[in-house]
Order: sequence, then structure tokens, then C-alpha cells
Amino acid sequence: MKTFGSENEDRIYLLLKGVIDPELMVNIIDLGLVYEIFFDEKNQAITIRMTLTSPECPMGEAIQEDVMQRIKTDYENYDIKIDLVWEPQWSTSFMSDEAKKQLG
Amino acid sequence: MQGTASNNAPDYRVITPHFMIGAVVILLAVILLFFNPDSLTSHFFNAHLLALTHLVSLGWITMIIFGALYQLIPVILETRLFSETMAIISLLLLITGTILMTSSFWYFNFGFPLLAGGSIILFSVILFVANLLGTSLQSEKNTIEKKFIVTSSIWLLLTCMAGLTLAFNFTFPFLSQSHLDLLKIHAHAGLVGWFIQLIIGVGSKLLPMFMVAHGMKITPLKIAYPAINSGLIIALISEFFVFQAGVITGIILTLIGILSFLFFLVDAYRLRVRKNLDPGMKQSAIAFFALLIPIVLILLIFAKQKLHTNFITIYGFILITGFITSLILGQTYKTLPFIIWLKEYRGKMGKSKIPLPKDLYTDASVLWQTWLFTGGFIIVATGVMLLQNLLIQAGAGFMISGLIIYNFNIFKIIFHKSKN
Repeated sequence: MKTFGSENEDRIYLLLKGVIDPELMVNIIDLGLVYEIFFDEKNQAITIRMTLTSPECPMGEAIQEDVMQRIKTDYENYDIKIDLVWEPQWSTSFMSDEAKKQLG
Repeated sequence: MQGTASNNAPDYRVITPHFMIGAVVILLAVILLFFNPDSLTSHFFNAHLLALTHLVSLGWITMIIFGALYQLIPVILETRLFSETMAIISLLLLITGTILMTSSFWYFNFGFPLLAGGSIILFSVILFVANLLGTSLQSEKNTIEKKFIVTSSIWLLLTCMAGLTLAFNFTFPFLSQSHLDLLKIHAHAGLVGWFIQLIIGVGSKLLPMFMVAHGMKITPLKIAYPAINSGLIIALISEFFVFQAGVITGIILTLIGILSFLFFLVDAYRLRVRKNLDPGMKQSAIAFFALLIPIVLILLIFAKQKLHTNFITIYGFILITGFITSLILGQTYKTLPFIIWLKEYRGKMGKSKIPLPKDLYTDASVLWQTWLFTGGFIIVATGVMLLQNLLIQAGAGFMISGLIIYNFNIFKIIFHKSKN
């Protein structure tokens, strides 16, 4: 399993495995959309640095909403933010073997 | 939520009427064909074929394109639609104009109703083009896709103006050219300048996205844009002045442009990560194979001037039905379920188990729709080739079956309600 560092970051990583891209039907971790997870226990803040397969992705808002809600289920009192970035630009090389297998 | 393209989508109520009306219209058009198969076996300049062609071009293809573009343009250009009100007024005018124009053609009444219908459609198109240009001016993006889409809308405007001029010429003749030559100019401005160019603009952005293809060279698109537009201008002006060498030069340039786009698509297909094409994409793939037939036919028609006029009918039929209609039928499943899904499940994601957009219909139904429609149009095309009305009716029967499934799915998707 890929790890992001702390126990909480790994827990969030597992939560995000439940977020499915509605068009591709593959989770966003295997798609390689999540670049970094920042967990700040002291300030009770979580930041997800992530991207989308394309800036024009029609499902972008839905995916972000799903990310926020999934994390909220376990971290209700935390301030959750998504830092949507376009650098590095997502490419198919970011996908896991599992994702490639699911896409045929 | 940070600013993403999907934030810019307009109210779904602007979009969905276009899909519902379009679905009913294409079904109605093929039912009319079933009862009037001779419209495809007589000379192509006949009342029923003129009526059916305009019903399909305006009430189905243009209707769906308007609806889909109001959703896609804000996504592609990353800005909000200039005006939802203009979109609704344009829709109402398009419906009224199409009814008037189609019924005028059907009863071969080229007087006031045809002129009124044509004028109303022109107003509808002016509103659409103004809305598109307004949206595009709000966007700082300056991509090749934007050029194709904006230019295609200008061709739509030119097509309508040429059509209205033709309608006036029927009632108050003032042009010396034959109606058939003028009809070819009007038809190709619409088929190539509007439909095909629009498909290239939207398709070059969306199809690679649906196939998860990255790293294609955009040189073929950069060749396609000037080739298609210069080719079309040369061909149409030459047709008007009956200058055969110019027509052929224009056609060759246009074909180079279309083939360049197909080359781009093949490259995207080769580089795709998503190997399994879903049913919507399968029907779209069939559409692009069907496009190869009119490409060969247009060359044949010009190489052998004495070919029977049914070759021209087959050329138009396959272009409109085999290519454009098949593509729309397939791509509907790549847009409409997502629009409805976002409307129903926005705010519910991550809180409870919710269906995916593909759960709003069944894959099996789309496959049945695809095979029935594709089989049907092949049988109809064969019937036109052999001048056999019975074959046309049999093919139309299959197409109707496929379109009933399509209608069922469209209404099922649009009226889908979340259970929570």
C-alpha cells in the first residue's frame, strides 16, 4: 500500500479510495489524482492537494464534493480544504496498474 | 469547492427539453419514412424528402446540438453561459420554425408558411450564435476547439440565410441558377460547415477525454481547420458560378481536413488507456466508420457524373443518419446521464451509497438500440441503392425499434429521481 506518512494521512488515503470518478468508475487514488495529503492535528486542518484528469472534467465538482464528504465522516470537526492544482499535469502514467486493469 | 469547469454548467431545465424534443422528432421522422419509403427512391428533390431532411436537421440534430452545447461550451471554455433566457427563446423559435417549415415542405407549399418558418428559424439561430459568441468572448481560452465551434456557428447562420434566400427564390424567383445547384450549396454549408465542423470541435476535446487518451499531436487539427473552411468556401462559390475545377479543388481540400481529424481520432484511439469502449462509445465508433462511405461516395459522384441520383440520396442519408445521428445517439449517453446525475446527487455524494451515472440506464438497452438502429440504416441504404421500397420499410422498422429504446432511455434518465 502506498503511504502518505502519518497514521491519519494513511487513514485519509484509505477513505479517498472510496471516491470514484463517475465517468471512469475508478477510484481517485488509483487514478493518481491525489498528490498530497496534509494533516495538521494541532490546528485541526486537512488539506488535499489533488488534480483532475483534465481542467474541463465535467465531473470535477462532484469528485471534490465526494472527497470532502468522505473525509468529514471520520474528521467531522476538522477544517477540510482541497488544493486543486494543474502542475504537475495529470497523465496516464500516474495511474496504478490496478486502474489500468480496470479500464481494460 | 475550487473553480472547476463543471461549476459553470447552466440550469438543467435549459438542456433537457432539447433532448426530449429531439428524441421524439427523430422517432417521428423515421415513422414518416416507414409510411413514405418512396421519398428515398424518387428524385431527391421531392416534397417528402425535403420535409424529412429539414425535420431531422433542425428538429433532431440542431435541437440536440443546441442543448448539448449549452452544457458543453461552459465546460470547454471554462466560463458561464452568456444567457439562459436567450437559450430558451431560441428553443421556442426553433420548435415553431421547424413545425412551419417541415409542414410547408411536406405539402409542397412554398408560400408564406415556408418563409415565416425560415425567418423564425433564422431568429432562433441568431440568438444561438449571439449566445455562443457572448460566451466565447467571456473566455480567455483560445484553443483550436473553440475556433471550430465558433466558426461552425457562423456556418449555421450562413446555412439558414442561404436556405431563406432559396425559399424566397421558390416564391419570387430572382436567381438564375438551378434550384438543385443552390440546394447543394445550402446543404453542404449545413452538413460540413455546421455539423461536421461542430463535431470536430467538440469531438476533439471530448472523445480523447472519454477514451483517457493523452499526448496526441494537434497538428492534424491545425491542418483540418483551414482545409475544411477554405475548401468549403472554394467549393460552394465554385458551385454557385458553375466552375467544376473549383468545386473539385474545394472538395479535395475539405476531405483533407476531415481525414486529418479522423487521423487525430485514430491517434487518440491508439493512445487510449481505456481499452473497453462503453456502449455509447461503440455507437460513436460505428458513426465514424459510416463517415467513410459518404467520403467515397462524393468522389464517385464527381468522378462519374452520370450516376443515378439515388447515389446522392444514399450519400445524404448515410451522412445524416449513419454518421451524425449514430454519433448523437451514442454521445447522448456520455452527456445526459451526467447532467441528471449531478442534478439529483449533488450534495449527496460521500454521505450515502448513490448510483453512478451509468446506472441511470442499462448497457444492454444501449447495445440493442445500437444494433437495431445500425442494422436498420444499413437495410434502408441498401433499399435506396436497389430502389426497393419494401427494404426501406423493413430497415425503417428496425430503426424505429432502436429509436423507441432510445426514447425510453432518454425519458427514463431525465425523470430519474434519487431515492433519498
